[in-house]
Amino acid sequence: MKVVLEVSNLWKFFGKSPVLRGVSFSVREGEAKVILGPSGAGKSTLLRCINLLIKPDRGSIILDGEEVTAPGVNVARVRSKIGFVFQHFNLFNHLTALENVMLGLIKVKGMNRDDAFKVARESLLSVGISEDLWSKYPAQLSGGQQQRVAIARAIAMSPRLVLFDEPTSALDPELIWEVLRVMEKMSKERMTMIVVTHELGFAMKVADEVVFMDSGAIVERGPPEEVILRPRNERVRRFMERMQYVYSLK
Amino acid sequence: MNGFLTYVPVILMGVWNTLILSTAGFLLATLLGLLMAFIEVFSPKPISITVDWVTRVLRGVPLLLALLLVFYGLPRVGIALPNIASAIIGITIVDSGYQAQLFRGAIEGVGERQLEAAYSIGLSKWAAFRYIIAPQAFRAALPGWLNEFTIVLKDSSIAYAIGVTELFTQAVHVAQVVLDYLQPLILVSIVYFSICYPLSIISERARRKLLAMGVAAV
Repeated sequence: MKVVLEVSNLWKFFGKSPVLRGVSFSVREGEAKVILGPSGAGKSTLLRCINLLIKPDRGSIILDGEEVTAPGVNVARVRSKIGFVFQHFNLFNHLTALENVMLGLIKVKGMNRDDAFKVARESLLSVGISEDLWSKYPAQLSGGQQQRVAIARAIAMSPRLVLFDEPTSALDPELIWEVLRVMEKMSKERMTMIVVTHELGFAMKVADEVVFMDSGAIVERGPPEEVILRPRNERVRRFMERMQYVYSLK
Repeated sequence: MNGFLTYVPVILMGVWNTLILSTAGFLLATLLGLLMAFIEVFSPKPISITVDWVTRVLRGVPLLLALLLVFYGLPRVGIALPNIASAIIGITIVDSGYQAQLFRGAIEGVGERQLEAAYSIGLSKWAAFRYIIAPQAFRAALPGWLNEFTIVLKDSSIAYAIGVTELFTQAVHVAQVVLDYLQPLILVSIVYFSICYPLSIISERARRKLLAMGVAAV
């Protein structure tokens, strides 16, 4: 199947300390890749490099055959092809739910208001945000609703892939499922996505491949049941044992 | 009593100059304050630090000193201005330091997350400022900006010191004629209050409405 994203030998330094140390992987069309790992492993930095919010120091990122890390690339145009869902939702505070989704369609894609409204309506309905919520401001929505609007804002742009940076970490426990359910549905509809998360259940159900990162490098990768249930790497095993303690119901 | 009443229109005529002084000084200070705030937020560090330092100096100048300096001091170097122009310039200079601080806080208060989100949907730097940062900063600055006007309005009474015939000056002159300070000064207090009070109500309403929208005013 077609490769959408190819990351090769990516390095990033903050000052002198390396945050990414030669990360390489590729994502195929329709694939859901889940990135696991402890805090400070470089997961967020990796996602931010992919949509060019952070400039990597070495290595290349190829999106749809175009090297986006090459000099002279129109950064805004590349970003408009990549959706990004943030841990803290980052909805535009001064715009309603509907306007949050419409803004990019009008100002980036150049649609007129009628067309933008039609696309925004489809997106909002697909993430289960009903019409009575469209005129609400972010501060008037629950965390789960805000994150679903943020997902709608990302998918309305019809991106080539969507990046999720711990999308449920800032949510009340009871609201996590409504966001994960939307993400699972997106994956079933063959949306290409990279998800940084600690939700192992989600990774088991949805991931085509799980990548485990530690100290800026990929230390293990494979099908979810391998990496999560039968890890080979010592660091990964220790991580999963601790996760077992936290999440096991027996 | 009757002596005072006949002078009431004389005092009230000072309202025009008070409004001209404070409005002109305030709006010019807004232009200058915005300019300095933009420079502080968006220019390279050495320039930004220099401008920040300038705003501190401006905020440290007493208005009375600024007025005397412009009106009595500048003629020494060949710049002689009428007293009302001097008062406007003095107010502009001092208040621009405060407004720069207000706008800078409003722009910086919008925060990195909003900017990241703007970039993530493909907005350019300019579009992100135009559609995300500026509208939020404007809303956040509004209550403080209105409050600032009430402060300038009251401080414009200091133009008395250089003989501008504004509200306060008129009241003092009348007081000297009718040999009673109490009634003229109570009258001007009521005038200042009736201009400032509605503005502070609007400011407070704006603040509360913004809070409900999730925008914290500066």
